[in-house]
Amino acid sequence: MTEQTTNPRILGFLCNWCCYAAADAAGVSRYQYPPNLRTIRVMCTGRIDPAFILRGFAQGAAGIFAGG
Amino acid sequence: MEAGRSPNIEILSNADFLGLEGKPGAFTAKVRLRPRYINADKCTACGLCTRYCPRHLVDDYNEGLAITRPIHIDYPQAVPASYFIDPRACLHLQHGTCQICVPVCRSKAIDFGQQPEERALQVGAVIMSPGFGRISEETLAKFGFGKHPDVVTSIEFERLLNPSGPFKGEVRCISDKRHPHRIAFIQCVGSRDLGCDNGYCSSVCCMYAIKEAMVAKEHDPEVEITIYYMDMRTQGKDFDAARRRAEEQFGIKFVRARVADVMPWNDQLRLTYATLSGSHHFEPFDMVVLSVGLEAPKDAKGLASTAGFELNQYDFCKTSTFAPLATTRPGVLVAGAFHGPKDIPESVTQSSAAAGLAAGLLRTQRGQGTVTKSYPAEQNPGEEVRIGVFVCHCGINIGGVVDVPGVAKYAGGMEDVVYYTESLYSCSQDAQEAIKEKIRQHNLNRVVVAACSPRTHEPLFQETLKDAGLNRCLFEMVNIRDQCSWVHANEPEAATAKSRDLVRMAVAKARHIKPLPEQTVPVTPKALVLGGGVAGMTAALNLAEQGFESFLIEKSGQLGGNLLKLDRTLQGDKAADLLKELSAAVKKHKLITVLTNSELAEVNGFVGNFTSMVRTANGKKASEQSISHGVIIIATGGREHVPARVLGKEPVASKKIVTQQALEQQLAGGKAKAPASVVMVQCAGSRGDDLAYCSKVCCNHAVKNALRIKALDPASQVVVLYREMRTYGFAEDLYRQAREQGVIFIPYATDRMPEISAKGSKVRIDFYDPILQDQVTMEPELLALSVGIVPEGTKELSKLLKIPVNADDFYLEAHVKLRPVELPVSGVYVCGLAHSPKPIEETIVQAQAAAAKAAIPLVKGHVEVEPTVSHVDQEICIGCSLCTSLCPYQAIQMVQLENKQRRAQTIVASCKGCGICASHCPTFAISMGGFTDQQISSQIEAFGREENRND
Amino acid sequence: MAKAKQERAGSVMVLGGGVAGIQAALDLTQLGYYVYLVEKSAAIGGAMAQLDKTFPTNDCSL
Repeated sequence: MTEQTTNPRILGFLCNWCCYAAADAAGVSRYQYPPNLRTIRVMCTGRIDPAFILRGFAQGAAGIFAGG
Repeated sequence: MEAGRSPNIEILSNADFLGLEGKPGAFTAKVRLRPRYINADKCTACGLCTRYCPRHLVDDYNEGLAITRPIHIDYPQAVPASYFIDPRACLHLQHGTCQICVPVCRSKAIDFGQQPEERALQVGAVIMSPGFGRISEETLAKFGFGKHPDVVTSIEFERLLNPSGPFKGEVRCISDKRHPHRIAFIQCVGSRDLGCDNGYCSSVCCMYAIKEAMVAKEHDPEVEITIYYMDMRTQGKDFDAARRRAEEQFGIKFVRARVADVMPWNDQLRLTYATLSGSHHFEPFDMVVLSVGLEAPKDAKGLASTAGFELNQYDFCKTSTFAPLATTRPGVLVAGAFHGPKDIPESVTQSSAAAGLAAGLLRTQRGQGTVTKSYPAEQNPGEEVRIGVFVCHCGINIGGVVDVPGVAKYAGGMEDVVYYTESLYSCSQDAQEAIKEKIRQHNLNRVVVAACSPRTHEPLFQETLKDAGLNRCLFEMVNIRDQCSWVHANEPEAATAKSRDLVRMAVAKARHIKPLPEQTVPVTPKALVLGGGVAGMTAALNLAEQGFESFLIEKSGQLGGNLLKLDRTLQGDKAADLLKELSAAVKKHKLITVLTNSELAEVNGFVGNFTSMVRTANGKKASEQSISHGVIIIATGGREHVPARVLGKEPVASKKIVTQQALEQQLAGGKAKAPASVVMVQCAGSRGDDLAYCSKVCCNHAVKNALRIKALDPASQVVVLYREMRTYGFAEDLYRQAREQGVIFIPYATDRMPEISAKGSKVRIDFYDPILQDQVTMEPELLALSVGIVPEGTKELSKLLKIPVNADDFYLEAHVKLRPVELPVSGVYVCGLAHSPKPIEETIVQAQAAAAKAAIPLVKGHVEVEPTVSHVDQEICIGCSLCTSLCPYQAIQMVQLENKQRRAQTIVASCKGCGICASHCPTFAISMGGFTDQQISSQIEAFGREENRND
Repeated sequence: MAKAKQERAGSVMVLGGGVAGIQAALDLTQLGYYVYLVEKSAAIGGAMAQLDKTFPTNDCSL
């Protein structure tokens, strides 16, 4: 995200037990990161149907992030 | 930290224990609560007060490596999540000035008028878990601590490695903030050291040193790390494997040496150390980490006299081998490091065991003190979707960055949203009342709260929904604090846009959320205990004391297991006494049915509802019976290993070569005679021969037999050849005693193994003595091998119960640290040698812990199921059984319908809601409660609909 | 949260709010008992709250 002109929208699927928790911890520690991520909480990354990823791209996501 | 949420735990923090009167079942405990000066009910933990507080205070939580303020919270996840004022440094409490925090606090939580409060608690039992104390600075000073800033304790180093630590996880020298290139760890600082009166081994330092070294390597692969040690005591389950990894993969150097001193040397530190051969060496380092031991808590003496129990010689709690958690005062139990130095899994195991013992003691009082909440009847949400959106300011935490009114208004414009509002603190008690009021007023049937994390606050709002008569699943939470305002603090516009998007996605999901039933499964309040050794008998007895029936299944013809083969414990207690006591109690108890000569043939069902076939041999005939039970405790034990390789070679057969167990039997009884000379060989078959792991008990066993021989005949010559003497904990005292009585301990290295040979009736051993630095040959009267322990029948049983075993065939627990006696299949527990090799005392504790854990579903009478489980639509299912093979929890089974078709069905009691089945089902027949395809898809679509950004 | 009654049968005091005390308290409530968790310092958690990762798996500690 070095170029100011690009503003990609990233869709994230975050596992409730690890990555979502880590994202909370990042907040508690006030780590700053680019505001391009929109997240969907799932109970496990095993829940992610490949169709979700395709649908995310179809909806204009520049990237999909699966965090587990 | 669930403890903060349970209605049945009252946390009295900032409290001093003043006295204990009465008897078991009816104690009165006095405590004094020191004032926090902050009203915990009002404090929202926003942190504003700490920013304004003008005074500095050394941060104890960061081991004094950072600075905090008198008004603070120890760490962000602290429970209670309330700040407090440290009176030692507060300007107002010390000098009557300042009070700047009072107007700063928006929720008016600061109250300097608070006074200490004394309370008398009526309790039936007491569990002492005060933890451990710190090694004195005087001892640390021997290694330059306090004189040179780059000599740190391992606890300080732990904080340096931690992302929440003083340098945000970067390891830097305290002196000049440079990154260290060479780090040394010195083991046994304040342990195994009579110089500071700590003769015992602290049992945890070897492990944490390796861990810290590995983590430091992960941070900076260039750093060179050397660990200086006497014996690496990684005897726990899978610990040796991690130690090998540290050496082979991480390149951490292990040097057996004693460090004489640490001196400044230019801008570095110079270590002087002596190796086994007696030669001295010097080595420069940038940083030296002292692996400090665990001491008894500082106020142990005061605690013991206040509560009326005794301490051992090191000021830890005094206990006995066969009743490890009982203090000398009945009704007062001990758990954790106060019992003796120990690691987390053992502490956690002891805690569960102590809880179970207290529960047995107070059986008649069970349920009398607990609180259960009642809720109004649940309303039918109806067809029309009516969503209410509540956006939280969280003081200035969200409101200071995100345009909260704008986000709320934006939500108001969305489909099906009939009400929207903002609130200052949506988690406060009055906000909950407001939400309930709005639910009634606007007939809301879906609630969306945009605030902090659902991981911490979803249960609170779900509770509010239940109070308002709504199903708790009609709730969706948006995280615009932890994952938005806090991490985009400098980009208010982008943060606001993100909040709008997240709210839009949540509302889109909320339109499709449905009430889900609260499912419960009834439990058969009986247990099946497999194995009639000390573990099985202890577990069955503890369950019986708590009032639960159990079936004790023993393969052989009699109870006792390995107790039958033991004479005495290392501490001198007679095994036969324990065996007599346990088996008599088991046979006498009405709630225990003993089935000897019996084996488990088949198991069906799930937690709460197992049905097992047990086969009993009766002479040549065998009969089978079906048993219904709710839980299973595996205590199938282990046995002495018969090695196929000893010291890297084929074992030598000779009448003069015996195992330690056989030697113990020879030495038992009043008429036993000591052999004139014995050589004992440790790790003969373990740690690299045919067993990869350390069997934990062999070193103690060797010391025990050596002491017995010396007691029978002080002139007898005893030589112990070892790799590392792992006499951890208080057993270290007996190791020292053996040396004092003339037992000779000689270490051997794996690249220069001793060689055993036999000729005629003679047995001979050749080995290298690193102290004499020469080859030695001995022809002892007896050669005793420490051969290790293997689990009994875990391979077969693991298939029957679908429970995984580790690489060494021991059962793999659900969570190594935090759930050490539970297995991955719900309702199945493990204890004793089937879990890993361990001495009797630890087996007893583990069995008590397994019984306590197993009693939980039995006490409840039903198993509650989170609504987020999977559900199979059997109309759509084609019976391919892909899901049953993928499920990591065996929570989906194939059933036959009336029309003979095979269909998948979720075992709700076992389902953990991961959703692997749903994402792989080829016909989309499986849906996840709260995470349906439709709900997630609508979130994805809402993600794409980035509409009107012009407000 | 309901305040404890003065006379409360079926309750246990756990002294020390480290990992051992917390585990004992949680298990006791699940076994049907009310618990007073008495801690000297301002917050429960003890030494484990200072840890990041644990041996041998190097998992997160909480």
